[in-house]
Amino acid sequence: MTQPATADPEAPVPTDQLPASAAGARGATARVLGRLADSPEIGIILAVIAAFVVFTAINPLFSSVSELQDPLGIDLAGFGILAVGEALTIITGGIDLSVGSLTALFVVLSAWFNTTEHIPVFFTIVLTVGAGALWGLWHGFLITRLGIAPFVATLVTFIFAVGADEAIAPNPIPIHSSVFLAVTGNTVAKIPIAVLVFVVIAIAVWFFLERTYMGRQLYAIGGNREAARLAGIKIDRRVVLAYMISGACAGVVGIIEASRLTSGTADSVSGWELIAIASAVIGGVSLIGGQGRIIGVVAGAALLVVLRDGLVAVNVNAYYQSMVVGVVLLVALVTDRLRVKRLERTGSRRIARRAASDSPAGAAGKSP
Amino acid sequence: MRTTRKLAQADLTVASSVDAGEQSVLFTGIRKSYGPAVVLDVDELALPFGQVVGLVGENGAGKSTMMGSMAGSVRPEDGSIRIAGQGLPLGDPLQAQELGVAMVSQEFPLVGQLSVAENLLLGRRASTHRVIVDRRAMNAAARGMLARVGLDVSPRRRVDSLSVAQRQLIELAKALGRSPHVLILDEPTSALGPAESQHVLELARKVAEEGGLVIFVGHRLNEVRDVSDRIVVMRNGRVVADLAPGEATEQRLVREMVGEELASAPPIGEPSSDGVVAFQADGLEAEGLGPLDLAVHAGEVLGIAGLMGSGRSRLLHVIMGARPSTGGQMRLGGRQYSPRSAADAVTAGIGLVPEDRKGQALLADAPIRWNVTLAALRRLAWHRLVIVGRTERRAGTEIVARARVRTRSIELPARSLSGGNQQRMIFGRWMAVRPKLLLLDEPTRGVDVGAKAEIYRLIEEERQEGMAILVVSSELEELFSICHRIIVLRRGRIAAELHRSEFSKERVIGAAAIEQGVA
Repeated sequence: MTQPATADPEAPVPTDQLPASAAGARGATARVLGRLADSPEIGIILAVIAAFVVFTAINPLFSSVSELQDPLGIDLAGFGILAVGEALTIITGGIDLSVGSLTALFVVLSAWFNTTEHIPVFFTIVLTVGAGALWGLWHGFLITRLGIAPFVATLVTFIFAVGADEAIAPNPIPIHSSVFLAVTGNTVAKIPIAVLVFVVIAIAVWFFLERTYMGRQLYAIGGNREAARLAGIKIDRRVVLAYMISGACAGVVGIIEASRLTSGTADSVSGWELIAIASAVIGGVSLIGGQGRIIGVVAGAALLVVLRDGLVAVNVNAYYQSMVVGVVLLVALVTDRLRVKRLERTGSRRIARRAASDSPAGAAGKSP
Repeated sequence: MRTTRKLAQADLTVASSVDAGEQSVLFTGIRKSYGPAVVLDVDELALPFGQVVGLVGENGAGKSTMMGSMAGSVRPEDGSIRIAGQGLPLGDPLQAQELGVAMVSQEFPLVGQLSVAENLLLGRRASTHRVIVDRRAMNAAARGMLARVGLDVSPRRRVDSLSVAQRQLIELAKALGRSPHVLILDEPTSALGPAESQHVLELARKVAEEGGLVIFVGHRLNEVRDVSDRIVVMRNGRVVADLAPGEATEQRLVREMVGEELASAPPIGEPSSDGVVAFQADGLEAEGLGPLDLAVHAGEVLGIAGLMGSGRSRLLHVIMGARPSTGGQMRLGGRQYSPRSAADAVTAGIGLVPEDRKGQALLADAPIRWNVTLAALRRLAWHRLVIVGRTERRAGTEIVARARVRTRSIELPARSLSGGNQQRMIFGRWMAVRPKLLLLDEPTRGVDVGAKAEIYRLIEEERQEGMAILVVSSELEELFSICHRIIVLRRGRIAAELHRSEFSKERVIGAAAIEQGVA
């Protein structure tokens, strides 16, 4: 295996070669930092930090441990888990509008399982998350077998579930189980259990997307469906899987919210599907499909949570919050477009340079 | 019949005793190139009104580009087009329409979800009201238009419930509905049966007799000769002959289309293991295809020639499981093979390099590495699940080197590559899998000469390794230089099978384009 023609005329960056020693001189840390600096998510991460610092400066209590645990931590767990599931469906070129109202439904359903039906907490969790996955299976069926557009297929659920939670629980169903309440009430090393659940889910989905062949296939399906099909990818199964994971995530968030509210209350959450979609988009997931990374989605969710809770902490009126979130979304989208355009204009020079130093082909060229 | 035509024409010329230049479509110095390839270069061509002009040439001769220039869908770099003395702004479809140019081709497809009437009247106001659609008036108007092309379907039917032939006639009705001065018919009969074709030819004559200019682009030479007052032959973007029907024998047309160039065939090795059949189809049938029998041997390159719409790509898609077969059997490596999806085909050991690279093969924004490992990824994965970065990079680098994709890094997005490199990259995607049978659909479309040679070399290398290869190509030189055998399709069936010693353009085009028997 030789270096594939470093001096080739067709090479995209023929004149801008890196000096042979430069890459070697850079340490591993520097390389990680460099990679981070080049990554599309860096802007969002910096924005999260900046927002956090500003809110703390105005109201020092904002960064106190109790505040970080709840609401910040638990909000992040809820939005983050929904956003991570949502991102999978968007990466396949679809969308899942149902996660918000499904979460509301599962808040009620889990309380009903546990309190009314006396099902132990463990099985309540299994049943609720399983119901979410099943619901995702149903979405996948509508989308892949009947060819219904994802937007419409999940919109049906959205509308249905808004009514369903009130039908199940016209009055709030109180939760008494201490184990159930521990999901948000207890901490491990000062970290709420819900946040740990979120971390585990985020890492698992990251691994699935970036380190398994099925995750790669999701990107391929969103990037060019026909190409994916002709390359032998079982498109229907992968798409169904994405919606199942998204539905299961709604189940998990339903448990978390029920635990936090200590009851199954109808209409407990609303509009969360939009927050999940916004988190994904702010984090660099393309609505066309085929692009986006979990780190970005998590950063996007973190930014929205910090803004939401931060504005409360500094006593900004509630109706400004939505406006601020809207503006942030706009800024994120515009910045991302500008970044992409600049990259296209400069012939993705930086990416090329980084790629040349990362890949074995480039490495072979550097240390003969 | 021909005498009456001549008379009608004479009348017309007398009746409108205007300057000849005012009564024609005049092309002057029209040039169009894509990158380094000049696809159209016509110094001067005058096409008078009141005639049907046949336009013939091989695929890629520049016919569609020239017609597209007139209809405004292609913008030439240079030159002018005058219609009845009026200059036509180049690359402006709306202006072309206003000057009376209408084109029937696959480029302006019908809207499947709309009704026949809605499609026919799309973009035009059917009623006197501005906003409200008067369905009754619309359907009545549509019925009149349908009657003109002799199509008996309800105007209310959805277009996607109609057959390809019916749609083709609706396209024609739509074009005629604009009462065009210039009517361009780009292979209007390719999907039609004999009776319908005849009707279309009569319609073309009628439009010409009413004083319009009809440009009839066709591949079936007998049809073109039947309908045309003169026949223009194009080759390599130029007009090479302008013949009266009397002088345009089929042999003459084929000779002009092919030109004097020799089919130079670089040596290819003989099929290595003769006798071992890699893939076999018996009585294979699908919509618009077959029944047909064919067999490809390991280490053999079998070419498939035929006109557009003859079922070439369709055959590949049926083998790939991307289109259902309706009858017959297939065997792959001696085993029964009946794919229900492309995934089945890949699992069984078949790969496809599709015709439309951008639309059907490329992950443009993804790194080259993703593109080359896409089909083999599961095999490369640890426990068939987890992608190990190092393994994937090594495999990717190796494939890129073997497929001679020139890039600085396999991490660059695929769109950073030139067309030829992209094509080799897609080829590499299958080299990584090593299928028993590789299907190539127009493997060198849109790549330059040097890149072509490299792709031929890759094909030859894989063949030597024992892969069976099925190639569809519109370029006969290409098939001649890389294939051991060629089958010629016409209307979904095998019209001829030629061995290497029998390869000649006359034979292939004869079998593909001439209705009666094999040349």
